Amino acid sequence: MFFLNLSLGQLLVLFGSVSAVAVTLYLLDRSRRRQTVATLRFWVNAEQPVAVRRRHRIQQPLSLLLQILSMGLLLLAVAQPRLGSPGATVRNHVLILDTSAWMGAQIQGGKRTLMQEAQDRARSYLRALPSSDRVMIVRADALTMPATVFETNRKKLEAAIAGSHPGSTALNLDQAIEFARHSQALSAGRAGEIAVIGSGRVSRRESAEPLQGPVSNLRFVPVTETVENCGLTKIGLRKAAADPDLWEIFVSARNYGKSAQTLPLTLRFGGAPAGSRRLQLPPGAERESTFEYRTRAAGLLEATLFTHDAFPQDDRAVLELPPQKSLSVAVYSDESELLRPILAANPRVNATFYPTKDYSAMPQRDLVILDRFRPPTVPAVDSIWIDPPIPGSPIPVRTRLTTPKVARWRSGHALGSGLRTQDLRLESATVFEAAPSDIRIAEVDGGPVIVARPGKPKIVVIGFHPARSGIRYELATPLLFGNLLRWTTPEIFRRWELTGGSVGSVKMTLDSDLAESDVRVLSEDGRTLPFTVRERTLNTFVGAPGTVRVIAGDREIVYSLTLPEVADTMWEPPAGIRRGIPPARQAGAGSREIWQLLAILGAAGLLLEWYLFGRLRRIWFPIRKPVFLRKAS
Amino acid sequence: MPSAPLLDREFLEKLERLTIHWQKSFAGLVGGHNVSRFAGGGQEFLDHRHFHHGDDLRAINWRAYLRLEKLFLKMFQVEPRVPVRMLLDTSGSMSAGSPEKFDYARKLAAALCYVGLVRLDTIAIQPFNEALGERCRSGGGRHRFSPVMDYLAGLRSEGRTDYLEVVRRFVTAYPQRGLLIVISDFLGAESCEKPLQYLADYGHELLLVQIWREEDRSPVWMGELDLVEAETGERLRVEVDATARERYTRAFDEFSKSLEALAARNAGRYVGISTSMAIEEFVFGSLVRARGVA
Repeated sequence: MFFLNLSLGQLLVLFGSVSAVAVTLYLLDRSRRRQTVATLRFWVNAEQPVAVRRRHRIQQPLSLLLQILSMGLLLLAVAQPRLGSPGATVRNHVLILDTSAWMGAQIQGGKRTLMQEAQDRARSYLRALPSSDRVMIVRADALTMPATVFETNRKKLEAAIAGSHPGSTALNLDQAIEFARHSQALSAGRAGEIAVIGSGRVSRRESAEPLQGPVSNLRFVPVTETVENCGLTKIGLRKAAADPDLWEIFVSARNYGKSAQTLPLTLRFGGAPAGSRRLQLPPGAERESTFEYRTRAAGLLEATLFTHDAFPQDDRAVLELPPQKSLSVAVYSDESELLRPILAANPRVNATFYPTKDYSAMPQRDLVILDRFRPPTVPAVDSIWIDPPIPGSPIPVRTRLTTPKVARWRSGHALGSGLRTQDLRLESATVFEAAPSDIRIAEVDGGPVIVARPGKPKIVVIGFHPARSGIRYELATPLLFGNLLRWTTPEIFRRWELTGGSVGSVKMTLDSDLAESDVRVLSEDGRTLPFTVRERTLNTFVGAPGTVRVIAGDREIVYSLTLPEVADTMWEPPAGIRRGIPPARQAGAGSREIWQLLAILGAAGLLLEWYLFGRLRRIWFPIRKPVFLRKAS
Repeated sequence: MPSAPLLDREFLEKLERLTIHWQKSFAGLVGGHNVSRFAGGGQEFLDHRHFHHGDDLRAINWRAYLRLEKLFLKMFQVEPRVPVRMLLDTSGSMSAGSPEKFDYARKLAAALCYVGLVRLDTIAIQPFNEALGERCRSGGGRHRFSPVMDYLAGLRSEGRTDYLEVVRRFVTAYPQRGLLIVISDFLGAESCEKPLQYLADYGHELLLVQIWREEDRSPVWMGELDLVEAETGERLRVEVDATARERYTRAFDEFSKSLEALAARNAGRYVGISTSMAIEEFVFGSLVRARGVA
């Protein structure tokens, strides 16, 4: 006989404690009680001798014995004793099947994959277990996912094994073992083994951390074969600061094998060669190459590492370059040479100048600039009105001032960011009657002279001509137009980066002045993804290949996560754990549970004690005691 | 908030068909429950006789005179006028344990008083413990019952019983013999048999009503007990087992039998009642069978 829930020591300690409590309660229960009666006459007549014995004497040993015996039986039932040998009991095993990206590596000359090998080992492990043992299949990559519950049905387990495929992320083994331990602890029955079947490749961070908790029931079934692999780890693109048509491209590659490699790395854009390098990759080293490519066109940028290794999934990365958006502006002016230098300074602005007589309210442009001109109909798109005639101004005019001095710029707003002038006097300026919701960008003593009205469409009114007043020599003029254009169409002027990487966790350092509320992480289909920001670093996790957009203020970073996450370190199993497939073990004759019988006996004992000696019973059911007990008492 | 009445209306209506019964003929008193041989100032018509000089003119049957031109006098049956007294035990032993015997005793006293009032008897309720308390005398019909209820509701159970002193004072206070109903548990530190015998010897007809709780007769406790007498506070340490309980019950029953024998020996009656029995069941059952009421 053996105990399933408690050890013998634990059972004895518990039994001793319960017995002590029972004896104490018994003595308290049987101690002398005070009772008020109408007369003592008949008690004296009853000729019962006055109690002179010690108080703590056990008066009804049979009652105490029954109580202790019954509680002992109940404790035994809790301990779940079984008849038979411990080896014959049903155990709960957890089989952790490595489904990390690396398990897709080819072996035996490309005939099989590591995953298929692991599946064979898993089936062998199942066959080695007694048929009565219960097994849970757990698929583990960066996330741990149970494929079955604790199951004795071998067909279901084998189906779960066959349905396991390599994922895109690296193995998080610590998390998987922790999950297995919890599952065993929460399940009824005896915990069996935690068998890890896989390549044992984990990330460098995890390999540095020792395994938490006991490893006595851990078994490692390695699926290893010498696999040489070189692969791309990262590809990134960004526009050159000086030339908007020039892309700066960064490609990183790593040698995961044990021999040095020299491999050609080529870059193709839209099928046409865009660059080529030869990479010297020592064992375990990572190298980065930089390319430059000039284009405004959209298309697929493909980086290929020409190698014939066992893991081709990381040899090729493709990024989609989006079309270069520019702001299309229609300028209606009879003196176009005044505004042309201001607009030409920004390469992302495509300005077209028209005489005022060719005005159209639907110009098929993103923005309309009206230079001292009252259009017959208000434009349907965003517009900037420069010194509009008083009767035709979109914002009511308060007055017209001569030689006013610019009193203040609203530098706290994005529209007035960086704008400042000193003792600047305008020849003349129109002062507007701004609504409370309007943004006053610049003011003279008489009121606002530059007003922006949010809404759809957005309207900006400038009460003077920047190129015909003293401000044209100020730095504030191009900055003002830059701010106005960014405010009307922020998506055109957003800083934009494209990064290709591997599936898994994504980290990005944020600007120091950026509020967390200005950060959004969007998936390919526009859904918001969860993320955390800790110490100015954004963290998010992507479990499947795809594209993630991080919008942080005026900055947008697109992560094209198509490369598999390849772990770079072999896990060092702790000393003392079992390895390999265990020898086949047949199920024993089986052990028999007897806790139900013990529980019934214990309950019956307590009921009998209550029936014979219970104080409340004597009040509720006044029955006569059996003859043998009356004689005994 | 007014307390609930001792007896409900329905029970009182049932009590109206009962009469307090006594057996003795008391010296110096007319009455009893046999029809009187004497004519007198009663309510019930008895007979006619010829008018004699000096007779009460109000009793002349003037109808007969008009018809026969002779004076006839109407005679009425004399009604019994035996004093009914109730000794109600208000000692501390009456309120020992739950339910209280005292509540039961008060209800019984109220019921018997109502029966007497309905029959135009005069009833005196006399509480006692160490001595006689302030009595309540009532008579003259059922409409005088309300003050009796108030009086009984105001009684408290306390003190010890001194039957000898109580009997001595009772005999002094009530020289006229009559029916004496004693409602008590007859339990206490001292014996009550001898004082009760004195009462009987003095000429009172005794109706002893002994009230007990179930635990007074059959205690349920086991093991070591520190018993405290309710009236005196005297303590006794005993170890109770089944045998001791049986002996106790036997002693109690013997005591009840001695009371019953005392009552029978003196042409009185004895009724024992447990508080577990409903008061209505007791009055219309045990008390009627004992001819306490009829």
